[in-house]
Amino acid sequence: MTVNARSFSAPPMFSAAVLAVGLSIASGAGAQTDAGPMWGVEQLMQTLRQVKSARGRFTERKYMAILSTPLELSGTLVYAAPGHLEKHTVRPNPESLVLDRDELTIESKDGNRSRTLALRDYPVLWAFVESIRSTLAGDLQTLNRFYRVGLRGGQSQWRLVLTPSEPKMQGVVREIQLGGSGDWVNVIEVLETSGDRSVMTISRDDS
Amino acid sequence: MRFWPRSAVCIWLAGVVAAIAVISRTEFTADLSAFLPRSPSPAQQILVEQLRDGVVSRLILIGIEGGATERLAQASQRLAASLRAQDNFVSVNNGEESGFETDREYLWENRYLLSPAMTPEHFTARGLRHSLEEDLRLLATPAGMLLRRTLPSDPGGELMRLLEQLEGQTRPSIRHGVWFSGDGARALLLAQTRAAGYDIDAQERTLARIRGAFAEAAGGGEAKLLLTGPGVFSVTIRERIRNDAWKFSLVATVLIGAMLWALYRSPRAVGLGLLPVASGALAGIAAVSLGFGSVHGITLGFGVTLIGEGVDYAIYLFTQIAPGTAPRTTFDRIWPTLRLGVLTSLCGFSAMLFSGFNGLAQLGLFSMAGLVAAAAVTRWVLPELLPPGFAVPAVTAFAPGVMSLVGRAPLLRVPLLVMVALACVLLMAQREPIWSDDLSSLSPVSPDEQRLDQRLRTDIGAPDVRHLVIVRAKDEETALQGSERVAAALRRAVRQGWLEGFDSPAGFLPSQATQRARQAALPEPGALRKNLHEALRGLPFRARAFEPFLEEAAAARSMPPVDRGSLQGTSLALKLDSLLSKRQDGVVAMLPLRGVSNSGAISGEIGKVPGLEFTVLDLKRESDDLYRSYRREALTFSLMGAAAIIVLLFASLRAPRRVFEVLAPLAAAVVVTLGMLVLGGHRLSIFHLVGLLLVVAVGSNYSLFFERQALSDRDRERTIVSLLFANVSTVIGFGLLALSKVPVLNAIGSTVGAGAILTLVFSAILIGRGPAGRLP
Repeated sequence: MTVNARSFSAPPMFSAAVLAVGLSIASGAGAQTDAGPMWGVEQLMQTLRQVKSARGRFTERKYMAILSTPLELSGTLVYAAPGHLEKHTVRPNPESLVLDRDELTIESKDGNRSRTLALRDYPVLWAFVESIRSTLAGDLQTLNRFYRVGLRGGQSQWRLVLTPSEPKMQGVVREIQLGGSGDWVNVIEVLETSGDRSVMTISRDDS
Repeated sequence: MRFWPRSAVCIWLAGVVAAIAVISRTEFTADLSAFLPRSPSPAQQILVEQLRDGVVSRLILIGIEGGATERLAQASQRLAASLRAQDNFVSVNNGEESGFETDREYLWENRYLLSPAMTPEHFTARGLRHSLEEDLRLLATPAGMLLRRTLPSDPGGELMRLLEQLEGQTRPSIRHGVWFSGDGARALLLAQTRAAGYDIDAQERTLARIRGAFAEAAGGGEAKLLLTGPGVFSVTIRERIRNDAWKFSLVATVLIGAMLWALYRSPRAVGLGLLPVASGALAGIAAVSLGFGSVHGITLGFGVTLIGEGVDYAIYLFTQIAPGTAPRTTFDRIWPTLRLGVLTSLCGFSAMLFSGFNGLAQLGLFSMAGLVAAAAVTRWVLPELLPPGFAVPAVTAFAPGVMSLVGRAPLLRVPLLVMVALACVLLMAQREPIWSDDLSSLSPVSPDEQRLDQRLRTDIGAPDVRHLVIVRAKDEETALQGSERVAAALRRAVRQGWLEGFDSPAGFLPSQATQRARQAALPEPGALRKNLHEALRGLPFRARAFEPFLEEAAAARSMPPVDRGSLQGTSLALKLDSLLSKRQDGVVAMLPLRGVSNSGAISGEIGKVPGLEFTVLDLKRESDDLYRSYRREALTFSLMGAAAIIVLLFASLRAPRRVFEVLAPLAAAVVVTLGMLVLGGHRLSIFHLVGLLLVVAVGSNYSLFFERQALSDRDRERTIVSLLFANVSTVIGFGLLALSKVPVLNAIGSTVGAGAILTLVFSAILIGRGPAGRLP
């Protein structure tokens, strides 16, 4: 349930990623050892900031106490730096989420209904959205506003651990983990306070 | 005969004391009710009530702007907290969630009584299956995060349905936990005052409280307080009319006093000259107070206009006293003419007295009482109080010049006729109607203030309600049942695209009958469990996931129905009060409509519901219609007044030629004044019409005196000079009003100022007389 990436259209980024992977192989141990004294959250953010656009396919599994088997969703993701993010769910029900600056537009294909929300009006949703968007944008300042930010692993395989700092968000989400390698995010795991969780894996979309 | 004069003074003094006693106990109002008919239709009745003391009239919209959003949000929180602690307010809302939590709780606890989906089919195996499939779909969306928490208790999605129903209206956006305008420039609050909108004194106190609380909350920062709403308008209007009326009365009094001093050279005479005016104003206010129970600010503002007319009487008397004669002998000469002038004015105003509209009727009564009092004081009181041997020396100085001008005036007859003809052509060629049909043209609220009101309303998502369905019923239960049936028809109309949405009191307080039906639609626990089991077959839900639902649905079967009291503490209580109101003859439910595109079709659809007493009300059309009929009525009454004047003149003068001579200058002046106003870009309001009535009232004196057969050349000189003095005083009084920003005062001022000059000049031109007043 891992792997993945935002596929990047910018070749230099791609090579940087290859280089990173190469380095981690060379060092032979992955997570623990490849983190030199110079590599940390700041450096990860720096790397992520280089990415200007990306496309990916996602599969998301939602595990809920109320369900005996997880819900599975799949579709595509589109990112454009710094603030534009689209999530197009294809299965099981077509639905689009388009995030642009501080507005989120939800469009469900079957009902032909579209709704635009100002993120400021929905603090929990806003915090949630920023966990992904600010990570992709390498915007540590915004992340720090909503979360305590922790980092495990090294450049080739890292895991960003976000713990909500706002009481309202704490009531809903216990932790959000974003895993990746180099400048690619390949997994997003959300652990909810209720015990429910969801895992989204993202793979490059070259089409 | 010797005691008669003294007793006149005594009667007058007693009258003044009585008038003051009445006035001291008079209630002054300034709400829009003056523009509403005395015997309104049910729809108008609702309009009046809403304007007077409906919830709408109690709303104050508050904006705080200028400064960083954090500071504004802080100020909003502090202001709201401080206002909530006072008992002047029913509620103060600024978006802080405290209110919404209780609303949500009410909807949640009573969802099975409130949900419109609660039909017998809803919880059958099929119905449940349908809901569960929908739930599964929603779980996959962002809404799933919220849904997951309520799903075990609410698989039917009742809460979601109820929230959506309430969310139909736009709400202001939230920053730092409080309401803000979309651009974040203004923090917004909505306060409902305990005092009714028409209680201006209380509204004024409430506004002072808000300003005080704000000064503390803002802590002297750069933040600025914006206030709007019906109460704010009423207070401003009253303040403004009072200010202008007071200011202009004072200035006019000083100027006219100065003029009289220059003419009379006697402080006593100057003081006496103002006596008829003052007495007239007192009598007018007292008469309106006795006749109507209260005096409208506009009527009061009108009082200032009496200065011009009332001063004239004293001027006629003083100026026409021949040197060496007693004042009473002067009256032997001029009283018949003056009396006819007073009667003419009374005819003009009497028509207004019969108006179905409070405002006009008050103006009519005020003017009539004021004129009678002023004339009576001039006739019977002044001669007693004038110093013996009083005469106005200035007459001799002015007479030669004035008389030579008057002598040559008839040369201008042709130009005058051309002018009148041009004015007629101008008036008839107007493509746009010369009358303004917009009620707001009467409003002394400035366009800036109206824009602010509009802006805050849009910000707060409380646009002016324009269309309403009114359901009348004998009690609350019947009214709610009626609302439910109207709502069903409206839902069909929404599907047809005739409107976007609507609000109904039954949406959050269903009738008892509906609540019982919904309870009855809940299957008994065993059957519900069986239905759920069947519905869950093949779905990925855990078998025992919905135990809370089964328990709560079972409990809901015997829960007590909700009533008005259940809403206590929620913001829905406030809303219910505005949508469901008790009155003497029953209960009225209101369903405000949004985005109406075809009100006729909507009426038709509701009309299909049998046994329903309803009205589809278009408030804007209703108030505009009202204003139009108000104006039409005033026009009719003015014409009737004109007819009465003609009859009166025929009866007194007994010669068609004389009647014509008296009327021609008046008619010409009215036409030319109208032409000038239209040319000046004015859309005429009802107060221009009132102004024209005053022109006729004041001007009839001029033409009557001009037309009067003088006893001698001296007599005629004195008469004509007195007309000039009277005219100057009128022009001072009314001309000043034209400077007022209050549309009412401005309209009357500019109309009468111009009209009075024209009438005098036209009288001189049209009524030619030989030296001793012989007919040529």
